[in-house]
Amino acid sequence: MALLLEARGLTKHYGSTIALEQASFDVQEGVTGLLGPNGAGKSTAMKLFLGLILPTSGTAMVLGEEPYKSVEGRARIGYMPEHESLPPSVSASEFLMHMAQVSGLPPAHARTRAADTLRHVGLDEERYRPISEYSTGMKQRVKLAQALVHDPVLVLLDEPTAGLDPAGREEMLDLIKRTARGFGISIMLSTHLMGDVERVADSVIVLESGTVTRQDSVAQLTEETETLLIEVADRREKFAAALAAKGVAAADDGKVLVVEEAGETEYDLIRDAAAESGARLRRLTPRRRDLRDIFRKES
Amino acid sequence: MRAEQAEVFDLGYQPYTGPREGRARARRAVLENGVRNLLGIGRGGRAKILPVLLFIAAMTPAVVFVAVLLLVPADEFIPGPADYYDIIGVVLWIFGAIMAPELLIPDRRDNVLQLYLVRTLSPADYLGARFLAFFGVVLALVYSGQIVLQIGLILSASDPLDYLGDNWLDIPRFLAGGALIALFFTVLPLLVATFTTRRAYAAAFVIGAVLVSSFVADGFTAESCTIDTGPGGSSTQCERGIGDAAPYVGLVHLGDTPGRLNAMIFDSDPTESGPSRAAVAELHDIFPIGFYVLLTGGAGLLLWNRYRRIKL
Repeated sequence: MALLLEARGLTKHYGSTIALEQASFDVQEGVTGLLGPNGAGKSTAMKLFLGLILPTSGTAMVLGEEPYKSVEGRARIGYMPEHESLPPSVSASEFLMHMAQVSGLPPAHARTRAADTLRHVGLDEERYRPISEYSTGMKQRVKLAQALVHDPVLVLLDEPTAGLDPAGREEMLDLIKRTARGFGISIMLSTHLMGDVERVADSVIVLESGTVTRQDSVAQLTEETETLLIEVADRREKFAAALAAKGVAAADDGKVLVVEEAGETEYDLIRDAAAESGARLRRLTPRRRDLRDIFRKES
Repeated sequence: MRAEQAEVFDLGYQPYTGPREGRARARRAVLENGVRNLLGIGRGGRAKILPVLLFIAAMTPAVVFVAVLLLVPADEFIPGPADYYDIIGVVLWIFGAIMAPELLIPDRRDNVLQLYLVRTLSPADYLGARFLAFFGVVLALVYSGQIVLQIGLILSASDPLDYLGDNWLDIPRFLAGGALIALFFTVLPLLVATFTTRRAYAAAFVIGAVLVSSFVADGFTAESCTIDTGPGGSSTQCERGIGDAAPYVGLVHLGDTPGRLNAMIFDSDPTESGPSRAAVAELHDIFPIGFYVLLTGGAGLLLWNRYRRIKL
């Protein structure tokens, strides 16, 4: 897998405020979530990779180059900022065409790319209307489109679902997934929403108070645990009593019975308890961790 | 003949495999976009009103002078190329004051600047392209009237070739004078536009600074004259309230700063263009030239520095 971004001892101080402290991590192909609460240093990290600000110390490499030393390396990078950053008086079509040219595309190609990209993000006829008339969701799509218009290798998305309603959020996450899977564009997604990362990311970097606390694949972080979830169709009380009689502690969380640290023996005892009580089990499955657990354990 | 069945496919978003022209294309795109914004090209009718009116205002005196020349041949009272920039000076200030903020402020206020600077553009590329766009349009505004006037003067002469032979030097003079004027009217309004995100504030500041400086300079350099009637006849005594300091105070006339250099290029009489210019003419040429270089160069450096350190 190609290494797209590389942070080594990356530090950024704003006066006495520490935005990022000795952060070291790699971003490879695919979708990477940069996860952390507000003020964790996610936007600062992105701006350092984009060369918009200089690090206090350490290095940020993008596609093998330091972005603040040469602007040429940015030709294959896209960026969608968190805050509104669109000119209100021009149409999305005109804006995208201009941005494609600013990314180095000749005018004729820029026109075609602008139309194709706007269609890809779901803006068709609306693209000729002034941006000031767009809804928040449409503006987010234009922001994503301008990041994609020059067909970058890597796109940095800063809080792409910010301000969207649940339906808009789903659509945006689908769009991100489609862009990454369908067109092979790698994405680094900065967000404070764990759900967003779980939905679209292959790997995650957890930032807290300017330091990297975890970096792993999402699959690894959400791997199966030794906690068993048992969903009982009927005779629930009898089954629970049979389990208790066999010395298996099962907590009832209302929907399922939860057995912690279940090994081979516990599986056999559960089978026996079900047979004795005559209960029918609808589901017997190890619980997968979710990213919330990581935060709970580490805080 | 059997009609071939055809089907149109919309391939939609596809990986881009066409040419990439890099930084040069990026700079050119920002420059062209700047010119379009200034002239209202591709915008609604309202965006075109001001630039069109100002271009008309810059060319109208030339058209009137040429018309007068055609009606009253050899009229010596018609202003020539040397005076033309003084006549349209107000138009140039208004254009600079109102249009320079249009070029820089919206990009900063709407956060579009960061979208430029994450592409293959450095702050210097961006500022350079915007600067050239503004300079180019101001230069066109400055030259437009002069070109009309020159053509009119040549064509209205009894022998156009003779006229051209005798006055050919006016052409490089108006080109050089115009370039100095355009540079001045580009740098200062652009610099002011970097200090605010309100276009009206920037425009008001530029217009205010020109007006105040002209009142101060002309006020302090104006001569008050008394007529002595003695036994030997009457004599006129003129003096300035601030005495020997007057020529230096005259320098602060912002609007006249490039005009003074234009007058030098044309070697025209400074006493015909207001008290401050007449007062400054008493100084060595190095003073008005130095003041222009200091003001334009200093403003240019400050402008560059504002963007070099821009916080995004």
